Amino acid sequence: MEIGVVRRDGRGDAFFDGAAADRLVIKRCGGCASWYAPDANECPACGGELGWATASGRATLISWAISHGRPPGDGPVPPPVLALVELREGPWLHSRLIGADRADLREGLPLRAHFEHPEEGESYLVFRPESSGRTDHFSGDRPREEPRS
Amino acid sequence: MREPEGPAAIAGLGMTELGKVFGRSPRRLAADAVRLAVADAGLALADLDGLLVSHGMSGSPGIELAAALGLGDLRLLTQMSALGATAGAMISYAAMSVLSGAAATVACVFADAPLRPERPAGAAYHRDAPEYHGFQGMTAALGFRSVNTFYALAAQRHMARYGTTSEQLGAIAVATRRWAAGNPRAQLRDPITIDDHQRSRWVVEPLHLLDCCLVSNGAIAVVVTGAGRARDLARPPVYIWGWGQGHPGHRRAGGAHDEAGEWGLTTGAVASGQVAMKMAGVTTEDISICQLYDCYTYTVLVSLEDYGFCAKGEGGAFAASGALGPGGALPTNTGGGQLSGYYMWGMTPLSEGVIQARGDGGERQVETNDVILVSGNGGILDHHSTMILSPHPRS
Ligand SMILES: [Zn+2]
Repeated sequence: MEIGVVRRDGRGDAFFDGAAADRLVIKRCGGCASWYAPDANECPACGGELGWATASGRATLISWAISHGRPPGDGPVPPPVLALVELREGPWLHSRLIGADRADLREGLPLRAHFEHPEEGESYLVFRPESSGRTDHFSGDRPREEPRS
Repeated sequence: MREPEGPAAIAGLGMTELGKVFGRSPRRLAADAVRLAVADAGLALADLDGLLVSHGMSGSPGIELAAALGLGDLRLLTQMSALGATAGAMISYAAMSVLSGAAATVACVFADAPLRPERPAGAAYHRDAPEYHGFQGMTAALGFRSVNTFYALAAQRHMARYGTTSEQLGAIAVATRRWAAGNPRAQLRDPITIDDHQRSRWVVEPLHLLDCCLVSNGAIAVVVTGAGRARDLARPPVYIWGWGQGHPGHRRAGGAHDEAGEWGLTTGAVASGQVAMKMAGVTTEDISICQLYDCYTYTVLVSLEDYGFCAKGEGGAFAASGALGPGGALPTNTGGGQLSGYYMWGMTPLSEGVIQARGDGGERQVETNDVILVSGNGGILDHHSTMILSPHPRS
């Protein structure tokens, strides 16, 4: 399944600004400091206003599903692994896993946020196992600019 | 105000043609179903003093349906939405209205027409787009483009946690198809095997095509009235013994109070089943037949666990034991459900519950039909309803 082109919609621009700079920017309550997904509108815990804040990018795997695509399929490309992840800060996000061996998939698998920078459209968020692939260090308190591929 | 009339009962059932029914709008289908339900009860439209209209997918009617049916002097009229739990919510609201005296005879209707002659059924609930907008758009761009993907996550989570297998889900598909063979209204009636299930294409792994429900056009309505009045009408009353709802507020959906994070593993069937069964004065031991919302085979499995028909994690083995099919210990989805019968949201299990309670099931009729559990499930295992029906007044 092709990843579609992602455009801004005016409401989540801070998330995409963060993604472009390889930082995971999500919502946080100004009243009680609870964290929420980027599409949350208000704080269900205290009713407070949500602002944007940089999260650690650390997460664990809740569950996954393999998208085989609709016939005629995606050819020889391995089918993507769709994932439900829990951020260390608490919110659950739907995303994709990259660099994951199917045999290693399990609930609780430690993950790191990773950002892809396509030629067209906004950068987007995927996750990969903490132990896999490149060792680029990523954390919220030490954001680091990734070379664009 | 009229005197309230004791426990409530379902007195009429109206079903249009279901499936590839083209050329009739959802409003027209809804009106047809209400007329059929009223006639089935031996009533006239003018006998209705309440109308509840379910939200649906594709241009479902709202409260203007009352005008389209020429109804006047109504005491109850609203559109309701709890997604797949709406049928249960409508019936319970109608029953409470009858019990309180707020209304005496209430029609509840669902209509939908997502199928188009020129496009495949899957397109009705699937979205591909050239571009995707915003954060939610990014989620769709990454592959979350239909409800299937979210239910696949739920099923996979259960598999990883409890060792549930695809073959066990297949046992649900096979049992449901066996029931469909006896239902002339069912859209898919040819027998299938576990091998057929395993060989059917992946929709989203771990869900095969035969784990997923049909898409149908059509409408179904029921008439709810007081038990005393129902006994004087054309058809045997189906008594409404209990009802309940459950809305867990999962963190997956942005809920703030889901510390356990059990989304996908545990559903609102726990709370809704407890409330409904307590109201009805029954336990799982007393349930003769289940009509479970089966948008996916997995929904059946997790509902059986959450209701307490088997222990958490044992739904797969329970399904594979043969309990659910014809001749099994817990006849379930006896009309072929949404998997093989017809997909009318919560009206699929409710209509078959009414048919079985009346003894109208023909060759698929279950001999022991004393207590029938009917479920509804909406969102991604986010909203749940339960009804307990019986051909007998509650003693
Ligand atoms: Zn707050």
